Amino acid sequence: MSGSKLVPYVQAAPLAIIMFTMVGIPLITVLVISFWDSDGISLYPMFRWENYTEILSRGLVYDLFLKTFIYAAITLVLTILIGFTCSYFLVFHVKNLKWQIALLLLCTVPFWTSNIIRMVSWIPFLGREGLFNSTLIQMGLIDAPLDFLLYSDFAVILTYVHLFALFMLVPIFNSMAKINPNLIEAAQDAGAGSWMILRDIIIPLSRTGIALGSIFVLTLVMGDFFVVRVMSGGQSASVVSAMKNNIDQLYYPQASAMAIMLIAVVLLIVAAILRVVDIRSELAK
Amino acid sequence: MSASNAKRGVSFYLLAAFFTLFVVFLYGPMLIIFVLSFQGETGGLTFPMRGTSLHWFSDLFSSSRYGDLAGGFRRSTGLGLMSMTITAVCCLFAGLAFRSRFWGSGTLFYLCIVSLVVPGILLGLGISQFFQILGFRLQWWLSGLGAHLSWTLPFGLLIMFAVLNRYDNAWDEAARDAGATPRQILGWVTVPILFPGLIAVALFGFTLSYDELPRSILTVGGKNTLPIEISNMTTNVTTPALYAIGTVTSFVSFAVIALAFGLIAFIQKRRARA
Amino acid sequence: MTDTSKIDIRGVTKNYGDVRAVNEVDLVIEGGSYCCMIGPSGCGKTTLLRMIAGHETPSAGQILIGAEDMAHARTGNRGTALMFQNYALFPHLSLTDNVAFSLKVKGQPTAERREKAREMLDRVQLLHLADRVPSELSGGQQQRVALARALITNPRVLLLDEPLSALDEFLRLRMRVELKRLQNELGITFVHVTHTQPEAIALADQVVVMDHGTVEQAASPREIYDRPFSPYIARFMGGQNVLEARVTALNGEVGEATGANGVVYDVHDTAGLEMEQTIRLSIRRDKIAMKSADRPDRNAASGTVMNTEYQGTFVKVSLRTETGEEFIVYQDDAEFFANPSHVGETVNAHWDGALNHLLRGQNTSSGNPLEE
Repeated sequence: MSGSKLVPYVQAAPLAIIMFTMVGIPLITVLVISFWDSDGISLYPMFRWENYTEILSRGLVYDLFLKTFIYAAITLVLTILIGFTCSYFLVFHVKNLKWQIALLLLCTVPFWTSNIIRMVSWIPFLGREGLFNSTLIQMGLIDAPLDFLLYSDFAVILTYVHLFALFMLVPIFNSMAKINPNLIEAAQDAGAGSWMILRDIIIPLSRTGIALGSIFVLTLVMGDFFVVRVMSGGQSASVVSAMKNNIDQLYYPQASAMAIMLIAVVLLIVAAILRVVDIRSELAK
Repeated sequence: MSASNAKRGVSFYLLAAFFTLFVVFLYGPMLIIFVLSFQGETGGLTFPMRGTSLHWFSDLFSSSRYGDLAGGFRRSTGLGLMSMTITAVCCLFAGLAFRSRFWGSGTLFYLCIVSLVVPGILLGLGISQFFQILGFRLQWWLSGLGAHLSWTLPFGLLIMFAVLNRYDNAWDEAARDAGATPRQILGWVTVPILFPGLIAVALFGFTLSYDELPRSILTVGGKNTLPIEISNMTTNVTTPALYAIGTVTSFVSFAVIALAFGLIAFIQKRRARA
Repeated sequence: MTDTSKIDIRGVTKNYGDVRAVNEVDLVIEGGSYCCMIGPSGCGKTTLLRMIAGHETPSAGQILIGAEDMAHARTGNRGTALMFQNYALFPHLSLTDNVAFSLKVKGQPTAERREKAREMLDRVQLLHLADRVPSELSGGQQQRVALARALITNPRVLLLDEPLSALDEFLRLRMRVELKRLQNELGITFVHVTHTQPEAIALADQVVVMDHGTVEQAASPREIYDRPFSPYIARFMGGQNVLEARVTALNGEVGEATGANGVVYDVHDTAGLEMEQTIRLSIRRDKIAMKSADRPDRNAASGTVMNTEYQGTFVKVSLRTETGEEFIVYQDDAEFFANPSHVGETVNAHWDGALNHLLRGQNTSSGNPLEE
């Protein structure tokens, strides 16, 4: 009898051990290092708040956080609009289950390919001599190529939406697909119009998906350094890309301190979302 | 609402158009670089095509300008396969464990969520510093693998939860009632029934690892993975060779996806056969 | 066969944390009998069944099957076979391999065990579907496969967990007959958990009524139905009115008890009763005469007709008595329609006092967990 009680521990042990050594301890390490000192060559273990006070005293960090939030907010709004609209189409307009799954898979396939390549693939489209500009010039709509398309905030956000829309689409689709069609028929019988059904039934019942998707998109955008570096042409920076610069210069403690602040902010946001929607219990349905 | 099949209202066509645009948005740019990777020898990074050739593909493997692509590919494939196996096995058992509440299950679940949520580069920093403090050398097959697992395992676990949602625990009991030992139950009942789901977990394990960049950068030590090599190329390669490597690595991904889906479809079909 | 398939449950308790699902149950199920365990959901009947099957271990007590203590016998090795509520057929195996599964566990060669499985499938008339997978079958067919899978081990005891609950009414009645026939044929013990009273009464040699983890009464269906032990059983099994009264006379051959409305009831079984004690009596709803002209003051009830329901062979007439309680009469349909009662009318009913049955048990719960 006591043997069967041990079973789940044995079964969960490999995952627990790996997660503990590869996530738990490293995060603690980052926390510890954030109090150390460094001169760009070596690290000096000690306990001091300077890394934090220094970062907070510089105005730059607020700009970085602001910029990161703006990227995240715009991307979030766009991906929710896209994810919701596409899910709505798939769930309520594509009635055939086989087609539904096929179309969803069509959207999901790029997820399993390289993000770097998907990002790079915008370059020949958006560049000064890219497909978009040359087409517009040929059509006579513009005289000179549009510069803001590539190596700009526009390019950064476009890439984010391109890369992360799936993370919103799939969870929203999942929660929307669980809506009982009878509910909508009942609302129609009660005289509700399309808008009312959307507002009072579909959106509230999709909120787990929206919340889960938002967590994914927010954390992906806030954790990115590569897209913002390449697609802004080095002109913009986010918290993590600034951190990456610190790391490249071996200022690990400073990078760690910034990282800890970012993690704190991210976890606060995630906790706030989880407070509104109990994702774990909803996932179990 | 024009949800009925009988009449498709304006909204259906508007939404269908939106959806089509989204699919074009997803695939269009990729198709452009697939085409451009066959650019002629004198061609550049954008249209027009100056002839078609396989020049840039052969350039990838013959030129030393692009770093150690072959080595990166080998290491990425190796990491992908290791991550795939470990993810499938760990997540299968952990998923089974999570069917009952056990001490620490909440903590473990939140550790997994935290791992998904924290910026990858930072976890990479933590892992590399942890290894260095212990005096271990960073190796792609050890610290690199660990970094990849911190990404693939939580994903795999979430998918495993979804897969196990449709698993009836009475199947285990029915097998036990027939006298099966725990090992027989696992081998003859649990794993075969869950197999299509396990393929999905494995697919995630491989592709997430194969394309992983931020967690790898600081953890692989001296030997780079393919995404790191490619990310280096984005800043210093200005020829269609960049697109050629994109085509190659995407082709590998598509092949893996097709293999996984083919396998799932084959199993489902065999089960449904009359 | 009968001795080896006798089940003896002694002082069995099962705790889940602080919750006591089964509470010191003593029960003997004779070998070769058909036993139905019945009770509201959460009464512990399924837990008890699963302990017999070995899927749960008792927290205390002993379970013996054919005089062997099962404490250390592994599931699948104790001569029991369990048929699951939703059948739990393996979705990835053909019917043949589903049925042959336990033989595979025993290490029989493929050809041999498939042959036996096909014989068993033939027995439940499903041989023509032997190569299908469960998802291609109807509910009734799946049920028969589950039965075949359970029986192929030649169990001494077949345990059935709500085997008919997933079927529609028509199939349920047909399978009920089939289960009974099968049990007669095999001569092994069947233990069948159900929450449907007619099912238990129709099938069982022994009905075990449970409530809150204890066995309230274990007896033949006739005994349970006709002579319920407690108000709970009378209400749960149905067909009875329960009357509350105070003992007012004990000196004669027949005692007397008086209800709140002043009506006097005969009490025949007075052993151990004391004056002024509150007792409860049951009287069968189909033994009551309606429409006496005067209001009788002995073994009678009167009240306002609240509802009449035609049931085919009888009419169910619901009265509300002066004390506000429900009193139900099953009146012969010819008799009813010769002189129908109408809703709102006040009527008098009376019966033969010899039919009053003293409910010795104190359990007065309604048997409906929602009402508690």
